[in-house]
Amino acid sequence: MSAAIELHDVTLVRRTQEELHYDFKRTVLDLVRGRRRRPRRRTVIDNLTASIGQGVKLAVIGANGSGKSTVLKLIAGVLRPTRGSVEVRGTVAPLIELGVGFEPELTLIDNVIFYGILLGHEEATVRAHAEAILEFAELTEMRDEPTKTLSSGMSARLGFAIATEWRPDILLLDEVLSVGDERFRRKCAARLDRFWDAHSTIVVVSHDLDYVVRTCERVIWVDHGVVRFDGAVAEGVEQYLKTVPFGPGYTRGEELLELARENQRGEILVRGLSPTEQGRKVYLIRDGMRHWVTHPSWYVKSGYAWENVLHVDDAAILEIPEGDYLT
Amino acid sequence: MVTSSVYAPHGEVRSRRFVDLIRVTAIRALMVRYRGTAFGVLWSFANPVLMTLIYTAIFGTAFKRYYDGSLTRYLVSAFVGLVVVSFFLATTNDALPSVVNAGSLMNKIAIPPIVFPIASVAANLFQQLVTTFPILFVLSIVLTRDPVRVALVPVVLAAVVVLSAGFALGLAALFVFFRDLPNLWQVAGFILWLSSPLFYPVQLVPPQARTWYSLNPIGEAIAAAREVTIARGPLDPYPVLFTIAAALVALALGAWLFRATRDDFMDLL
Repeated sequence: MSAAIELHDVTLVRRTQEELHYDFKRTVLDLVRGRRRRPRRRTVIDNLTASIGQGVKLAVIGANGSGKSTVLKLIAGVLRPTRGSVEVRGTVAPLIELGVGFEPELTLIDNVIFYGILLGHEEATVRAHAEAILEFAELTEMRDEPTKTLSSGMSARLGFAIATEWRPDILLLDEVLSVGDERFRRKCAARLDRFWDAHSTIVVVSHDLDYVVRTCERVIWVDHGVVRFDGAVAEGVEQYLKTVPFGPGYTRGEELLELARENQRGEILVRGLSPTEQGRKVYLIRDGMRHWVTHPSWYVKSGYAWENVLHVDDAAILEIPEGDYLT
Repeated sequence: MVTSSVYAPHGEVRSRRFVDLIRVTAIRALMVRYRGTAFGVLWSFANPVLMTLIYTAIFGTAFKRYYDGSLTRYLVSAFVGLVVVSFFLATTNDALPSVVNAGSLMNKIAIPPIVFPIASVAANLFQQLVTTFPILFVLSIVLTRDPVRVALVPVVLAAVVVLSAGFALGLAALFVFFRDLPNLWQVAGFILWLSSPLFYPVQLVPPQARTWYSLNPIGEAIAAAREVTIARGPLDPYPVLFTIAAALVALALGAWLFRATRDDFMDLL
């Protein structure tokens, strides 16, 4: 099986943000003083080598700022490696920062057409699919309204609908599983399943380790731009979780409910359902700390926990009746 | 070896994709610019026409003696100059923020950054192609009756477009690094406007300032446009050749600057 994506000794060195001085005055003064300041640079990806075969479902995991999304952008061609090579064979659908890049003054239908062409599709093809895209995004009624009237969730839905209208050879997913509400998320997941079943090569960047375990067959764990693990997904996730420092555990469901009330959507995220010999363990990762949710009944009720607790970034958590089994 | 071939088809297909990107980006810019306006692209025609009328009303009588005593020749001369300088300034002003403004898009889709300043040039070129540029062609036919001059009209206009493209590339690249640039360019544009013989005859410029004055590429571009559209007598090739040379130098410098700096763009966008 030939590789769909080949990263060979890829190193990416980028200018650091604190060195970015946008003002002309400082630059001129430095030149007058005979100093030529070179911006500081940081190695973001260090000697990454990976070969991803056609049809492989690969997850890239790691802490925030580890370089996961950068790997995706290198594959997408958004970033060029400083050293090394990135070879990609096939059409690419990048689902990165959905909903960003639309022209707010233009209508939805115009943005669909422009965006589709920017993604590399023929204009006639995009026009033929435009209504179906709006229909999937459930935005047909707003087709002639300016895109600035959309909420961020609606924009993300539109971005998802455009990027996934055509089956790509390679699908790049960057934390796109939180598009819209729970119902629309399931709709998106069902569409993505099509690509899974159709043997597209899929590269996922996600903090949702349970999703990674359930859907991917290989994982690359990136830590400060360096690959720490490349191999079987369960082992990779286990190794990664071992590096996440422990915080206080949560032994009662009501503690988690309290957290959910205090922290609005997206503030708390349960990331890990790690399969072990004892069964599935539930972790809550918050503020960079791993919190082991230790109430024994949670293992028994892990399905319930998955539906209602692990998605505590969703408002659904508040719907768990107090006094329920979990507490 | 540094390569990055993201479904990068080669040759004809790649060129077609590049042209498609420029076309669609230019169309998008035009649609945004004229969305909700009553006259749309006609504004690009109205602008130099209204300015010409104002200049003629204010300065025409005073300066017409430099134009064979003809108010009409002053009016036509001002119009030709305004078409050139308006195109140059509109194009460079649009192109300057084009790469920075496209930052969010370039962070998610692989699009060559050069598409955006070139699309700015293309959008402005389209506007002039359907409004003022054909008028210059007609003026040349009617006023010069010289087939050589008529044939040179597209050459001079092409040189003006290339000159603008060179500045557009350079400014778009520099703005990624220097956010003061729009303010500086605003001042530079005003200086270029004043130091170009738009509403006054070049004879009024003091001899000691002529050397500096002649270095203004827009001034020579205006002179070239007038030479091929309204001048009489033997063709003076100097402004035409100067404009072509300036255009090629500007394009080479702009493209070099863009190429030399583009690898750092994504770190700053």
